[in-house]
Amino acid sequence: MSVKAWPADDSGDKSLLERLRRGDAGGAEELFERYAPALLKFADRMLSDRESAEEVTQEVFVKVISRAHQYDGRAAVASWLFAIAANACRDRRRRDRRAAVVPLDSVGELPAAGVGAESRLASRERRAAVRKALEGLSEEQREALVLARYHGLPYAEIARVLGISVGAVKTRIFRAVENLKARFSEGEASWNAAN
Amino acid sequence: MECRELTEYALGRLLGEAPSRERKELDAHVAGCASCRAELAALEETWETLGADLDLPVTPEFRARTVELLEDETARLRIRSFRPGARSPRVLAQAAAILVAAALGYVAAKGGIGSVTKAGNASASTGNAAPSLPDLSKNPRLTNVSYRTDSDGRVAIEFDATTHRSITGPPDDPRVSSLLAYLLSANETAGEKSRAIELVSQNFGPGAAVASPEIVRALATTVRRDRNPGVRKKAAEALASFRSTAEIRAALLAALANDPNPGVRLVAVDALAAAAKEAPDPKTIQSLREKAFDPSENGFVRARAASALKAIDL
Repeated sequence: MSVKAWPADDSGDKSLLERLRRGDAGGAEELFERYAPALLKFADRMLSDRESAEEVTQEVFVKVISRAHQYDGRAAVASWLFAIAANACRDRRRRDRRAAVVPLDSVGELPAAGVGAESRLASRERRAAVRKALEGLSEEQREALVLARYHGLPYAEIARVLGISVGAVKTRIFRAVENLKARFSEGEASWNAAN
Repeated sequence: MECRELTEYALGRLLGEAPSRERKELDAHVAGCASCRAELAALEETWETLGADLDLPVTPEFRARTVELLEDETARLRIRSFRPGARSPRVLAQAAAILVAAALGYVAAKGGIGSVTKAGNASASTGNAAPSLPDLSKNPRLTNVSYRTDSDGRVAIEFDATTHRSITGPPDDPRVSSLLAYLLSANETAGEKSRAIELVSQNFGPGAAVASPEIVRALATTVRRDRNPGVRKKAAEALASFRSTAEIRAALLAALANDPNPGVRLVAVDALAAAAKEAPDPKTIQSLREKAFDPSENGFVRARAASALKAIDL
């Protein structure tokens, strides 16, 4: 069985957290440099809004500062960060759901077959279609799939991040991929033909 | 391996989680099963297609904003953790005895015991017993500011301005209000501003004290000008919790029209809509209408503006 090196440098992460506990702002900044890109892209895929994703990412690091002393070292620091981010995204979505219903016309429609001969337009449409397909997944499926597909987390780490069993992780990813495959093969992603 | 296990095996391979035995079983199975071969190709294409979704980059502005916020937060925690602990009871008792003796001597020299401070008024203390606020008109630099709301509803604000000072009083006491308004305007970092706004939100508004005009002005200026969206949002939320006035409405209308952050605009929509429900205002209704039909506006803001308009009795 292949062994994944994830996260890349957990002992380094733990040292940064230790610096943070001692009140060294440099520890927080280095953690930001290491994990902001990953946490931002995770939040973006969960929330589909740049401003919200940036706010949630900031929220994660502020929480890390105030909760550094609560980290017990059992999970990798990276898993702990993703767990905070996943919770923050869920809270944000709950709040937004309570606040408003997004009108369907606010999300770009999938392009019609044959549209997009120009390659830049086609690739933009392709991206929009993938994003819309991801948005069509349930929150649970999307969390698990995003962590696996875009962050390369192994099943066991995803289970730690989401607080569920490895079996449940497999099921969520399985269903997410089945859903996406069905959407793509139904012709909704007609950009395949356009490219 | 059986056909129904295809997705599980294929995902294991795509994610690098499948043992070599499973990978070999998968290869052997698809070699002899045309439908699974097609299914596997579709699955791998789906996986590949997901790669078309680009990663959102960390912009230099976001990095700078966040690093500043993290520095603030770390400094705040450091100050809290290094705050001197309680001294021993014996030392405290000795200090109290000296203070009581000094106070009695002072009162006796002034003509006897009988002038009692009116309950509820603000009191001020400093390390060297200076009893007043610093002259805020001279824009003094106040550092190490901390806030507390006591169980009796009095607000305590401690700060350093040459000497360490502590101002305590009910939230609507003029000196507490002035100091809070000053801190809302003068604080430099996002963390400091946020804490001042939080104290205002906790102590003013429905069922609590009425915010003074200077506090409202300071919050309105923060909503309009602060560069941190989190701070602007908190200030807008604080204004939203007050009884609507022309100044508050103007600040929220400006936020709805100009604030780049949809979170701030959402707060503005809610607050303006709530005020318009009680007393419909043409400018508010026009602004909400524009937002509801603006195709370039964030979907959440548009939807909220549209629902707000429906709820207002036009």
